[in-house]
Amino acid sequence: MVILARMKLASRRQFLATLGVTTLGAAALAAGPARARPLDEVVQRNRLRVAVYRDFHPFSYREGGALKGIDVDLANTIAERLGVRPDVFEHTAGETVSDDLRVAVWRGSLFGGEPADIMMHIPHSKDFALRNPEAVLFAPYQRELFALVRDPERVPFADPADLPEEPVGVEIDSVPDFYLLGLDGGRLRRHVVHFPDPRAAVEALARGELAAVLAPRSQIEAALGELRARFPVAAVRLPGLMASSWDIGMAARENARDLAYAAGDVVTAMAEDGSLEALFRRHGVTYAPIPVD
Amino acid sequence: MKRLISTFALAAGLAVWAAAAVAGPVSNDDILKDATSTGDVLSYGLGPQGQRFSPLAKLTPETVAKLVPAWSFSFGGEKQRGQEAQPLVHDGVMYVTGSYSRLFAVDARTGQKKWQYDHRLPEGIMPCCDVVNRGAAIHGNKVYFTTLDARLVALDKDTGKVVWNKKLADYQAGYSNTAAPLVVEGKVITGNSGGEFGIVGMVEARDAETGELVWQRPMVEGHMGTLNGKESTMTGKLNASWPGDLWKTGGGATWLGGTYDPETRTLFFGTGNPAPWNSHLRPGDNLYTSSTVALNPDTGEIKWHYQTTPHDGWDFDGVNEFVSFDLKKDGQTIKAGAKADRNGFFYVIDRTNGKLLNAAPFVSKITWAKEIDLKTGRPVYIDDNRPADPSGAEKGKPVFAAPAFLGAKNWMPMAYSPQTELFYVPANEWGMDIWNEPITYKKGAAYLGAGFTIKPLYNDYIGALRAMDPKTGKIVWEYKNPAPLWGGVLTTAGNLVFTGTPEGFLKAFDAKTGKEVWKFQTGSGVVGCPITWEMDGEQYVAVASGWGGAVPLWGGDVAKLVKDINQGGSLWVFKLPKA
Repeated sequence: MVILARMKLASRRQFLATLGVTTLGAAALAAGPARARPLDEVVQRNRLRVAVYRDFHPFSYREGGALKGIDVDLANTIAERLGVRPDVFEHTAGETVSDDLRVAVWRGSLFGGEPADIMMHIPHSKDFALRNPEAVLFAPYQRELFALVRDPERVPFADPADLPEEPVGVEIDSVPDFYLLGLDGGRLRRHVVHFPDPRAAVEALARGELAAVLAPRSQIEAALGELRARFPVAAVRLPGLMASSWDIGMAARENARDLAYAAGDVVTAMAEDGSLEALFRRHGVTYAPIPVD
Repeated sequence: MKRLISTFALAAGLAVWAAAAVAGPVSNDDILKDATSTGDVLSYGLGPQGQRFSPLAKLTPETVAKLVPAWSFSFGGEKQRGQEAQPLVHDGVMYVTGSYSRLFAVDARTGQKKWQYDHRLPEGIMPCCDVVNRGAAIHGNKVYFTTLDARLVALDKDTGKVVWNKKLADYQAGYSNTAAPLVVEGKVITGNSGGEFGIVGMVEARDAETGELVWQRPMVEGHMGTLNGKESTMTGKLNASWPGDLWKTGGGATWLGGTYDPETRTLFFGTGNPAPWNSHLRPGDNLYTSSTVALNPDTGEIKWHYQTTPHDGWDFDGVNEFVSFDLKKDGQTIKAGAKADRNGFFYVIDRTNGKLLNAAPFVSKITWAKEIDLKTGRPVYIDDNRPADPSGAEKGKPVFAAPAFLGAKNWMPMAYSPQTELFYVPANEWGMDIWNEPITYKKGAAYLGAGFTIKPLYNDYIGALRAMDPKTGKIVWEYKNPAPLWGGVLTTAGNLVFTGTPEGFLKAFDAKTGKEVWKFQTGSGVVGCPITWEMDGEQYVAVASGWGGAVPLWGGDVAKLVKDINQGGSLWVFKLPKA
């Protein structure tokens, strides 16, 4: 129980304040002794069960059979610093993240299997937290935003609204997809090329099949790797859409706040000692910390 | 062969019969005659046309009071979720599927279990709705059913042993299957379901003996079909009604399966809604989504299509069953078919060519279209009531839409009585507020989704069993039910209509007047499809009981209405004892 003893009240407040649900948190703390203590259970079992998304390069994906990625490494580090064994499993994304929380975190799958103690890569916002009261959202670790990667000979400017009528790649059923299909009354509609994920789109760009790709920056950067020198990447705003950037954190069951604090402390420490940035860098991704208000 | 065995059984007594029970194979002829044969139920729909009509007449509004339970069978385990199946009966054995991809063979006389097949489901399945299954098919010595991990399994009907097990689609990409397969002239015909990220509707035929693929027909224009392992023809014309490459991932899932008309040798499959959900991004009709598509059973070639919701922007789907029947009008008999669509209209169509004959509302409120133009066959849209474009200027303006996206009628099949010449349609009266959420999330990323709340239209009922006259489009009678109806309908020559309710009742109505004449409380919600057959000179009725399906998952205000219904999982069998 070293972690608990070391946990500072200040850091608890910081996490609650980030979420903007201080009153909820206080109520849960007051009710604390009557409830199960998920952190105790994790320590007793010597196992932290963590859900990550299936097929989600560069955050969680299979390579040569092994599960790899930013979220996987971060989950392993949290388990290690909590002094328990990691038990990371892949979750197939549902229609929305709320479905994922229900299946992977608080209710469990209808097909059985143990739910996660923690799920990685959960959007971190007050609105979203209020819509999902069964889960506690904590420890935001990356600011995600959309970026345009382009072939500079075909697309001179990094402005999605000014794209020429040339093939542009998107992930199917994503914000960039909807944005470009709807842009200027459908000016680019015939030129939007759909891919199962941003990595496949970037590969098509590298083959010369596309003029540009619009997708989350971290996924573009990781897919580009060495090709970054040839294809400039620029963060962009999608005018008229609210959703140009969002924060990524973790989720646990609503009654698992003590576990959330402990895991959150690990992430705070990793942000402070530079190991979080190093982790992102190892995967070829720019670490974009959440600005402190 | 069949007759020999039953004579033997009578002579030797039940115990010996049970021991010697090697039931005969089911021929193609047996399946084609299923609608008129009273001693068995060999197809989903009580006949491939799907009329759900039985010529049995011992049970009538007068005698039904004497209908009593014969036996009940528990599906067991902890897996008590929605039981939507229609049982089959062959040679004294009942075959019924349960939630979680299970198939049971039960002695139809005693309720004694003969065998049970529990499909091993892998982790990581994400079914959209519930873990239901809608029933099995039978042919030769095999029973067939589809599974939540998108496989088609053939079992020996006498032993329950797996004969073959074929992958229909990749469950890891979100594909699943819950519909009853259809067996037509030695081929097992299936649709597809799930895979919301880029699914394309598909109908496939496999050899019933070997499970080998014979043909495939994609339901979205631009895709190639196959026949005997080679490319056959393209569905429709590339980019005729789709912009850009959206046809590649156009939707149109055939998740409810199909029906077959032996007279015209035509398969009818309904198709789901187009993708993406925001209709403003895909101008055009988006063929052949939200349609009924008529297919040649030998080759999978498309004969005709009728699109019920061109350019669907409400998630209406067009999957509902197309039921073949003879329309007798003005001294003529027209080979027709009918479909009660999720979008609220009841369509009567010439089944030889797909021409619209009539269309009338079967629910009280339809906001998306004024009417269906009988000349053009197209809806007259009310443009203001189309959900707004989230990338347009008007953000977040809620639109009230009726029917709700769960449909004026969902999956639950209707019935047709050639005797009363009426269709019996299980309908629901609900609408929804639908708006663009400024921000939602999918797979950890920002997303533009739609928000919705389902609202009942009336205080005292949502469900309505309605008798529709296909000649006039008029509602002849209705029965109102507080909770939404979610089970199939059966009608008989004894002037009866049967259906179940979420409140737990199996109910019987006078087919001419709609008067409720019998009910039985099964202990959990009934969302299955009732059947009837004759055995040892007595008329039997069976239905699966077990609350579930999509309503409790998505109901909004409706969920409150049904939250106290207990889960279950059993089969109830009733009979009218000999006088």
